[in-house]
Amino acid sequence: MPGTITHSVNEHSPIPAAAGIGLRFPHHELVVQGRPQVAWFEVHAENYFGGGAARRVLTCVRGDYPISLHGVGLSLGSAEDLDRGHLRRIAELVRSIEPGLVSEHLSWSVVGGQYLADLLPLPMTEEALDVVCRHVEQTQEALQRRILIENPSTYLQFRHSSIPEWEFITAVAERTGCGILCDVNNIFVSASNHGWDAQRYLNALPSAVVGEIHLAGHAIQTLENGRTVRIDDHGSSVCAEVWALYVQALRRFGPKPTLIEWDTDIPAFEVLLDEAAQAATLMRAVAANHACAA
Amino acid sequence: MPALLELQRTLREQLFGLATGGDATDSDAASVRTLLAGDDGALRLAIYRNTGLGTLVNALRLSFPAVQRLVGADFFEAAAREFIRVQPPCSAYLNDYGADFPGFLAGYPPAAAVVYLGDVAQLEWAVNRALHASDAASLDLGRLAALEQSALSQLSFTAHPALSLLRLEFPADAIWRAVLEQNDAAMAAIDLATGPVHLLIERDTAGVQVRALSAAAWDFTARLSAGRPLYAVLADGSDGDVDAWLAEHLALGRFIDFSCDTVAAATVARGETR
Repeated sequence: MPGTITHSVNEHSPIPAAAGIGLRFPHHELVVQGRPQVAWFEVHAENYFGGGAARRVLTCVRGDYPISLHGVGLSLGSAEDLDRGHLRRIAELVRSIEPGLVSEHLSWSVVGGQYLADLLPLPMTEEALDVVCRHVEQTQEALQRRILIENPSTYLQFRHSSIPEWEFITAVAERTGCGILCDVNNIFVSASNHGWDAQRYLNALPSAVVGEIHLAGHAIQTLENGRTVRIDDHGSSVCAEVWALYVQALRRFGPKPTLIEWDTDIPAFEVLLDEAAQAATLMRAVAANHACAA
Repeated sequence: MPALLELQRTLREQLFGLATGGDATDSDAASVRTLLAGDDGALRLAIYRNTGLGTLVNALRLSFPAVQRLVGADFFEAAAREFIRVQPPCSAYLNDYGADFPGFLAGYPPAAAVVYLGDVAQLEWAVNRALHASDAASLDLGRLAALEQSALSQLSFTAHPALSLLRLEFPADAIWRAVLEQNDAAMAAIDLATGPVHLLIERDTAGVQVRALSAAAWDFTARLSAGRPLYAVLADGSDGDVDAWLAEHLALGRFIDFSCDTVAAATVARGETR
């Protein structure tokens, strides 16, 4: 329920409206030793559940940068109960590193106690909406803070879906008080795959609750039947169309923390710095235009 | 309209085909066609299957690098896929997935010729556990110093979560090192008939360490780290320098806590043994 959560905004290191980078293991040492100029980092929560070197690096990086914690395994869309152990581990990590933002996905990965190792699409139904809202509320209660929910990239749709995805995620935010993590690449990928209007999707999201933007590269795959599907593999540079859609997002939402994600074929850190610089340039340009227009 | 749970169960069968032993039935396929929009839902579902399987195979690869080098990438992938089919992960914390892969490999007929594969896999799992185990502060030796002398033998210890002890039939530590260092000469020099190895796997500030112990030191350490009281471990008998072993364990922070069995303490004080 909105208003029932004590929103503990982290006063000491909120995530700034600037370009950040997804921190991955190959760059751990470089970031700890070299302390590169990056506004903030985002990490996958599940990679830091344990102790040892990984946790030591995260604690060290947290000392120098704001950190956003991004979960990939909570499975908010599972019809069955949330994995309490998983939620406890996230809560422990949140207490330990006090991240500026915590986010998860509008998707499911677990059924019958089995983890299917991907962010699977939900049918856009009233039942699924109730399930997601219940789980978002339980998560916010357990973490004692507001979370952001990310729009997924999807490759298939269900016949009985009755709610457009942009209305679905907006409803989750309205009912639970959570924020929205707007993944611009995912909007582009899903819109291409399903024939949606990406601009319309953006325009439908409530600006006030968009707390973060994700940018990434995707692949194009040809199916056996000759049709092409865009696959969100986070394995290349952000493409021109997604940069263009990002500009539209900035015009609509204003400057927002913007993350460069790259998870497969992870490149040299400088490549990520270049992508982040590009996002920062666009953010400044759009802000300047707004100032001129005002 | 299918309920969400029913839909998710159907998709699980289609993605990993577990209940049907690998092959989804025609009725499952038909139910998927009625679930998915468009005429190519099965092709689109395959994208998720490939991503999910790829993620899990990769997780096993990261935890078992020496096993993969020993059998080759293709063989490893086939074995991993079969393991995933019979024992899928029950949690999204994938660093915890694979505890039973060594046992699976030991009984995997196509790998039977590599007799030491299961032992190397057991060692890699212990290394993986040591790498990812929770942090825990070592036992404060000042707390031990504060105990009465008579209480000392009544202690039982809690081992650090990164510590494990393995007794393996083959020299898995030597094989593991030679394989990861790609040291063909060392590999060729390994004698499989040297008898069992007694290993202690732990994490220190430099990383994960694999140490070979004498059978007697391993036995003492294994009993103690399993929580058996010190007096009982001593009563088990040992032909070695137990004082030195205990001092080393304490100095290196292998224990994080202790408890003191006062009933046993009284028994021992009366000169009885149990």
